[in-house]
Amino acid sequence: MTTRTTALLGVVAALAVPIAAPAASHAATVFGSGSSAMQPYFDALAAGYKKVDRHATFVYNPDGGNAGARDVQQGKSAFALQTRPPLPSDSGLSYSKLFLDGLCVAVNPANSLRGLSIGQVRDIFLGNVTAWQQVGSNLNAPISAFGRNSTAGLYTFFQSAVLDGATQATNVTQLDTDGEVAVAVARNQAGIGYVGLASSGPGSGVKRLKLGGQPCQASAIKTLKYPLSRYGWIVLPARHPNRTATRFADWVRTSYAAGQIIAKAGAVPAFNATHPPKKPKKRARKRT
Amino acid sequence: MAPASRPRRAPGGLAPDQRAELLLGALVCGVLLLVLALVVFVFREAWPSFARNGLRWFGPGGNPDQQIEAIFTSSDLLRKPVYTFHAWPIVWGTLLCTVGAVCLSFVAALFVAVFVVEFAPEWIRRVLEPVVRLLASVPSVIFGLLGVLVLVPFVGRHVITNDARRSVAYVVSLSGYSLLAGVVILSLMISPLMIAVFSDGLRAVPRGWLEGSLGLGINRWRTFWKIGVRTARPALVAGTVLATARALGETVMLAMVTGGVSFAPNPADGLIFFVEPTRPLAATILQTAEELTSSPMRHTIFAMAAVLLFSAALLSLAGWAAKQPMRKYGARP
Repeated sequence: MTTRTTALLGVVAALAVPIAAPAASHAATVFGSGSSAMQPYFDALAAGYKKVDRHATFVYNPDGGNAGARDVQQGKSAFALQTRPPLPSDSGLSYSKLFLDGLCVAVNPANSLRGLSIGQVRDIFLGNVTAWQQVGSNLNAPISAFGRNSTAGLYTFFQSAVLDGATQATNVTQLDTDGEVAVAVARNQAGIGYVGLASSGPGSGVKRLKLGGQPCQASAIKTLKYPLSRYGWIVLPARHPNRTATRFADWVRTSYAAGQIIAKAGAVPAFNATHPPKKPKKRARKRT
Repeated sequence: MAPASRPRRAPGGLAPDQRAELLLGALVCGVLLLVLALVVFVFREAWPSFARNGLRWFGPGGNPDQQIEAIFTSSDLLRKPVYTFHAWPIVWGTLLCTVGAVCLSFVAALFVAVFVVEFAPEWIRRVLEPVVRLLASVPSVIFGLLGVLVLVPFVGRHVITNDARRSVAYVVSLSGYSLLAGVVILSLMISPLMIAVFSDGLRAVPRGWLEGSLGLGINRWRTFWKIGVRTARPALVAGTVLATARALGETVMLAMVTGGVSFAPNPADGLIFFVEPTRPLAATILQTAEELTSSPMRHTIFAMAAVLLFSAALLSLAGWAAKQPMRKYGARP
């Protein structure tokens, strides 16, 4: 082999190392997509999972629950997070319950209202009730209702659970994400909106309303007494699911550590162990 | 006198200049083919929606949000595809946002450009020009955030009265997410582009023409307004066309601040008209893009994209036509 050829091979090898290295380091990167309301929980859980599998890296695109399910059908995502139960259009997908969440109806803290019935919420979002005084609030102002656009999974759930399948009225301002709805309600005294449990917690600037006398809190959601209790779902392909995503889903569903993270993030653990696993006792060495 | 040396030929028989010419020509043809392919693809995908609705696609009738919902849910199992779509509220919203923002920013940009080029002291010019350039490069999502956190709550609290809210409460919610918020922020976004193009056009006016007028004893303002601005009209048209194209295609910011409802603001409502919500075409595409996998929805989304594409082409043509009569002034386009 001539010196020139050796030098050339050396250069090629030197170039190949940095090109090959990222591919190797991204071997455990798992792409997911889905509900924007599930993102706060997912971020916390993915960070916690690093302690279990430090090589697993997740990239999550909150493009909406329905879009996430379609991404998995088309093989664009390894998993999706969803806030509604499976539909007939979800062929080829496997849905698993992860934890419980509540869809809260929230108002501005300036509103004296403490609770509403499901019927009253339906009337507000169908445009039949337009003034706060009609539902017993201290505010002498028309209602400013905020919701999600019709392609969001959260809207699909709200539509079936509250609106009985009807379309929300034109006087509902439609926003793109759960966070935008919370901000809009926090900055509008006459505002009301439906938001996930995590986006309506302390510091969000909104006040959760009781629905049918039940608070939008972990205690009422866990017993399924709160009428808008719902499961957070992970959606995987029915055939050949990604191993890392499957292991992650099992860990989220069952482990004590994941349950702690879920509770801290504002949702309600449903299937997780309630006690930390016992550490194996060390055997005392016999002295000779 | 030495004979002129012949250009060196490459082994293939072509001179370097010819090779460059061929290469660049091929590149341009490639780009043209790409544009043509894009247009054909968009219109082919859009055709089923136009074919089933005809000209009624552009007309009023029903609530487009409900129609969109019916279209994308119709792709579920065992259902017939639905294509009924009457886009008038969305097309009207696009027109209002674009025309409003372009009119507002044209006036502002013209005065700022005249000030920067002719009247501003040197130190102000040195500050203004980089600021304008910076504003032009700010991503639209930042303007959207400013709108959601500052302008929308301000309009909701201080511009809209409770009486106004009550008067339309059964039809639409006046919460601050409005045409006004969209137009104001869109004006802020496109003004820097206009200022930059207008300033270049005004600077290109020959100094001799202005000095001739000044020498006749006409004051600076009148001289610049009558000769400078008049001569720079092709640049004003070019800047306006560019800014209109940007306004027409603006998506994220408008989706964030205009209210997300496909409602046609009605001038007959009086001043409330400005604070009514709407949703332009590009924002509608963004919000419904999640449903691209549903076949009838995909055709509907591409139909909206085709309208935007056609509008952009029409805009370029209108700009070219508007510049034609101005050629006689001898100013640079």
